[in-house]
Amino acid sequence: MTGSRYRFLLRPLRLGPVVVRNRIVFCAHLTNYAEGGRPSAQHAAYYAARARGGAGLIITEEQSTHPTDWPYEKLIHGYDPAVVPGYRRITDAVHKQGTPIFAQLNHNGGQASGMYSRRPVWAPSAVPDPMFREVPKPVTSTEIREIIDGYATVAGHCRQGGFDGIELQCSHSSIVRGFLSGATNHRTDSYGGSLADRARFLLEVLAAVRAEIGPGMALGVRLCGDELMAGGITLDQTTEVAKMVEDSRHADYINTSIGVATSTLYMIEASMAVPPGYALFIPSAIRKTVQLPVVGVGRFKDPIQAERALAEGHADLIGVVRGQIADPDFAAKTRSGHAEDIRLCLSCNQECVGRMGLGRWLGCIENPRAGREAVPLPPPVQRPRRIMIAGGGPAGLQAAISAALRGHDVTVCECDDELGGQVRIAARAPGRAEFGDLVRNQLAECRRAGAALKTGVRVDIDLVRAERPDVVVVATGARPDRPYWATANLPAGAPEICDVRDVLDGSANPRGRVLVVDDLGFHQATSTAEVLADRGCEVELTTSGMVAGQDLGITLDMETWWLRATRRGIAQTTDTLITGVVSGGVTTRHLATGAAGQQRADWVVLAVQQAPADELYFGLKELRRAGDGPAVHRVGDCVAPRRAHAAVIDGERVGELL
Amino acid sequence: MPLGPASAPNRLMFGPHVTNLGDDGRAVTGRHVAYYARRAAGGAGVIVTETASVHESDWPYERAPLASRCRQGWADVAAACADHESLVLASVGHFGGQGSSAYSQRELWAPSGVPGVDTREMPKVMEAEDIAAVVEGFAGAARLAMAAGLAGVEVNAGQHSLVRQFLSGLTNKRTDPYGTDRLRFAREVLISVRQRLAGGVLGLRLSCDELAPWAGITPEQAAPIAASLAPLIDYLVVVRGAIYSATATRPDSHAAPGFNLALASRIRAAVGGAVAVFAQGSIVDPLMAEQAIADGSCDGVEMTRAQIADAHLGRKLGGGAPPRPCILCNQACQVLDTRNPIVSCVADPRSGHETQDEAINDSGDREHTGPTAGSAVTPVDLLVIGGGPAGLEAARVAAAHGHRVRLAEASDHLGGTAAVAAAAPGRENLAALVAWLESQCRRLGVEIELSHRVSPGEAHAHPGPVVVAIGGRDGEPAYQIVAGGEVLSARQFLADIAAGRETTKGPVLVWDPIGGPIGISIAELLSVRGPTALAFPDQIAGQQLALTGDLVAANIRLQSAGVTLARRCVLRRVGGDGADVEDIFSGEMRTIPAAVVIDAGPRLPAASDDAEAPAGALTPVTMIAGDAVAPRTIYEAVLEGRRAALGLGQVKRTSLTGAAR
Repeated sequence: MTGSRYRFLLRPLRLGPVVVRNRIVFCAHLTNYAEGGRPSAQHAAYYAARARGGAGLIITEEQSTHPTDWPYEKLIHGYDPAVVPGYRRITDAVHKQGTPIFAQLNHNGGQASGMYSRRPVWAPSAVPDPMFREVPKPVTSTEIREIIDGYATVAGHCRQGGFDGIELQCSHSSIVRGFLSGATNHRTDSYGGSLADRARFLLEVLAAVRAEIGPGMALGVRLCGDELMAGGITLDQTTEVAKMVEDSRHADYINTSIGVATSTLYMIEASMAVPPGYALFIPSAIRKTVQLPVVGVGRFKDPIQAERALAEGHADLIGVVRGQIADPDFAAKTRSGHAEDIRLCLSCNQECVGRMGLGRWLGCIENPRAGREAVPLPPPVQRPRRIMIAGGGPAGLQAAISAALRGHDVTVCECDDELGGQVRIAARAPGRAEFGDLVRNQLAECRRAGAALKTGVRVDIDLVRAERPDVVVVATGARPDRPYWATANLPAGAPEICDVRDVLDGSANPRGRVLVVDDLGFHQATSTAEVLADRGCEVELTTSGMVAGQDLGITLDMETWWLRATRRGIAQTTDTLITGVVSGGVTTRHLATGAAGQQRADWVVLAVQQAPADELYFGLKELRRAGDGPAVHRVGDCVAPRRAHAAVIDGERVGELL
Repeated sequence: MPLGPASAPNRLMFGPHVTNLGDDGRAVTGRHVAYYARRAAGGAGVIVTETASVHESDWPYERAPLASRCRQGWADVAAACADHESLVLASVGHFGGQGSSAYSQRELWAPSGVPGVDTREMPKVMEAEDIAAVVEGFAGAARLAMAAGLAGVEVNAGQHSLVRQFLSGLTNKRTDPYGTDRLRFAREVLISVRQRLAGGVLGLRLSCDELAPWAGITPEQAAPIAASLAPLIDYLVVVRGAIYSATATRPDSHAAPGFNLALASRIRAAVGGAVAVFAQGSIVDPLMAEQAIADGSCDGVEMTRAQIADAHLGRKLGGGAPPRPCILCNQACQVLDTRNPIVSCVADPRSGHETQDEAINDSGDREHTGPTAGSAVTPVDLLVIGGGPAGLEAARVAAAHGHRVRLAEASDHLGGTAAVAAAAPGRENLAALVAWLESQCRRLGVEIELSHRVSPGEAHAHPGPVVVAIGGRDGEPAYQIVAGGEVLSARQFLADIAAGRETTKGPVLVWDPIGGPIGISIAELLSVRGPTALAFPDQIAGQQLALTGDLVAANIRLQSAGVTLARRCVLRRVGGDGADVEDIFSGEMRTIPAAVVIDAGPRLPAASDDAEAPAGALTPVTMIAGDAVAPRTIYEAVLEGRRAALGLGQVKRTSLTGAAR
């Protein structure tokens, strides 16, 4: 075995009848790849890519066990026998790589609505979920039997479909969790009351599934270590339940999680605002109680970190989900001694987690192949061309990677002294450093792919004429812009005005009372507000929207932002439009009431829409039209200033097109 | 009604709207076909199908049709409607900067760099070749529609449209000929579409008031725009709304029905009879429509939601049963939402589900074709316990299918929670649905008994099946009530209001952990009487109202009325001095002065103490429907009441009417 640094991580392990070749698990997670309630070809390609990349074990997303369970549109209806051919397609593709794959079974219970099923939602008690807010129907004993039968039926479908094992999701979004938790189980029959009674449902499901699959398949149980809500499951209870599971002799391993999907989701799929390995105390405690192998999860993004967790005895296996979405070859690179080549997950949650809640297919901000594994890449080019890329931000770098991998001769010219564009600036904010890994990863990939990188070189028409590339890809980004009220003649005593970029790169140093204007609804304003508060400013964040930093909710950054903002004393004002600048502040209009007002400010810092830097593109287009220039494309913010993912996919698309 | 080269059998239009009936391939599906065919059979004069994107740069919502993939679907719609007289057109359009990049994974296109109001996404400023491609896309879509056998197309320059974005100073800041002449793009589109229409009808849906007078299209500007474009088209639909008023085109019941009639009238005068003008805007009352045509406000009327509520509106106007009313609740028909809900209707849950739900053998609907038609069902004696929407719908449908029905209601009035909720401002229309259900029950011979509580003994003695639709009960408080603290449930409060009882004095706190219409409407009602606060766990009041389109409007109404909004908090304690709420982020407690707290929190099923009781206790053939299963909305109540009735005569024991198909 190579990679002796990883004595624990790369050691095989037996899970009941199944042997995994290493301890890296691609744990269950939603993908929204299902089509018509069935697994798709994309599912097979997606899992196969991680199997090919060396994952020790793959666990599919949840397979629903009953028609009353349909919380989101693209759920796989595991109870429908029509899923079996799709299962077979997945398991064949994964087994071809010699990797075992388990199917996760689940019923989301009350953590759902009837929007898709047009049926009542079933739960232990009539306690509405904090997110869906639909009152569920308390299940009768007959209905409990029906659900348990559903688990067995789906387990049978999984056996027919070629899976090596089953995992029961009893953790963050599950009717089993609903029964286990005193917060959602108010029953007075034998399924409610003491912990043993609340665990009765789990143990009955476990027995029914084991009876269905027999000894030839592995069976695991995923438990929530702490629901992080009043009256909810605590770690003590979970270790007791884990013991009950072990004592049943039906289970081969225990998986773990933290939080409840519909009230504390931000702790289940934590963003970079939460420290790596934050949930490790859960497997650690369970492992002290049971002999069964235990899986630990929670922002494991680096093999060294995973190795240490195993070496210290906190867990037997480590779930690496986002890390393997970002880089399917995470395990293979670890095994071959090239761990530094891993495209590290940023934990930005923008295109993976952020798309799930919106019903969209799972992607990745920095891996444009994520979600498109089933779409073949174009073949390498026969005749390489000389590609000049103007601009070394995420769009230009991705175009360089994509074009160089296809065999082109690529040179990136960045006018600045450093590559990375605005990502580099954004990563300077407190708690946002990991965002900078996007550039680190792109630069490493550029070098591996053989793209030449030049800094301090500004591309202009003369340079293009001199160098005579076959193609120019313009990736010149965007420049700060100002809203109308900040461009007019400002009165005496008006506050100083600058852009968030000026604050983050240190070129402006606001003092006193600072108004941060959020017109973008993402990290720009909130990050800068934190920087300023840390520098001792009195900070107020103001927005015309109904919520400041509106899209932080999508990436699960809203809760932690509020905690930090509260601690730092950052005020937040919503529904307020700035209408002008006056001495000592700005004038405002409240959008709901129409009331005019004023806000005092020594400085105004703008997080507002930028302007595309598109002069080079139009210049080259003109040259081309005159018959005297190379082919020209444009990517990223110089097309339209957007977020980093748009830049990456623009770059990837053009690279594939060349 | 003559419409350019064609004519429509009447002046009633079923306009284009988002349905989410499409598929992953952006095609028009069999579900679309059944949805439109049902309206054609029901007597719609003009049907305009869901707007199809004319170019791949536009993928505004996941199930948005793409014109180049619609030929077969359009042909199927045309064929399915061929037996009826309706004129069927395809709406074609492009969302421009109001679209989404989430599905296309590429940049948005727009006339100028004006970001989306919700997404805050900056679009690409279209280059000349982009403009040419979209114009060609419109023309290609028109050609496909004609090839598919449709009667023509309607170009969308309404609420969500690139064509309107070019017309408006709000979104078109170009300095090239498409900016110096903002009508140029629309003209090019209409001219190129006309060239491919081969004698088909060309309509234009035009926002004639962007409700943004500082830069947008005003009614004054719309008149010459309409007059200028009129020679290029056969009809015009006058709508309102733009980027800052995304729900203004089809607002809920807080906007007065017919709000756009004056605008339509003005535009009709401006085009001087050159083209037919359709009025639109919460027109759900046929008499209002008739009057608008009679007084010359318009030539025809779009009544889209009214025909989602009653697919046979057109035919019923010829006499006979009164149509099932649209109550403008927007709860099930507004589906431009990332979750892709299927278009439907609280009053007719079969809408949008035509291919799955059994039709009702209702003499007013005359559309029943299913296996249980006529004599296939053995008439039974049905006892319906409870006269809310679930019970009334069960009784109505059972009676329509030839069963003998007795309905017993414990209180002295019908309508259940719906009737109670109608006491709040903006919710009065709920009473219209209750009234219609009652009138249908009476017409169909349902024996209705008020103020009669059915005892278990009586239910057991009943010889036939029983539908239990007894509703819900107040929830348990999840907070402490200490001496002097007074709490009233939302239902009790509204019942008091409905009965004319004065119930509160002094400052009131409304606790709304749901964020639906109930808590909001109560706070509005109270705000005119005295100091009112609304406490809720979310960032925005009425969070669940996003779907109905009332979210922004509700927040404006609340704040304009001076309601104190206590955001991001949880109610912990109610005492004589007020209510203590806890900030969900900081954990900080504060006291809000309140003489009484009104709890608009979730209700419980009537018999939830014992999960087994409702299923087994009453009779051997008992079905439970609506809030008695779990308190939810009118949609579920009507759906489950209906399913209970459709299951009759095909005896089946189930505790879950939802399982009956």
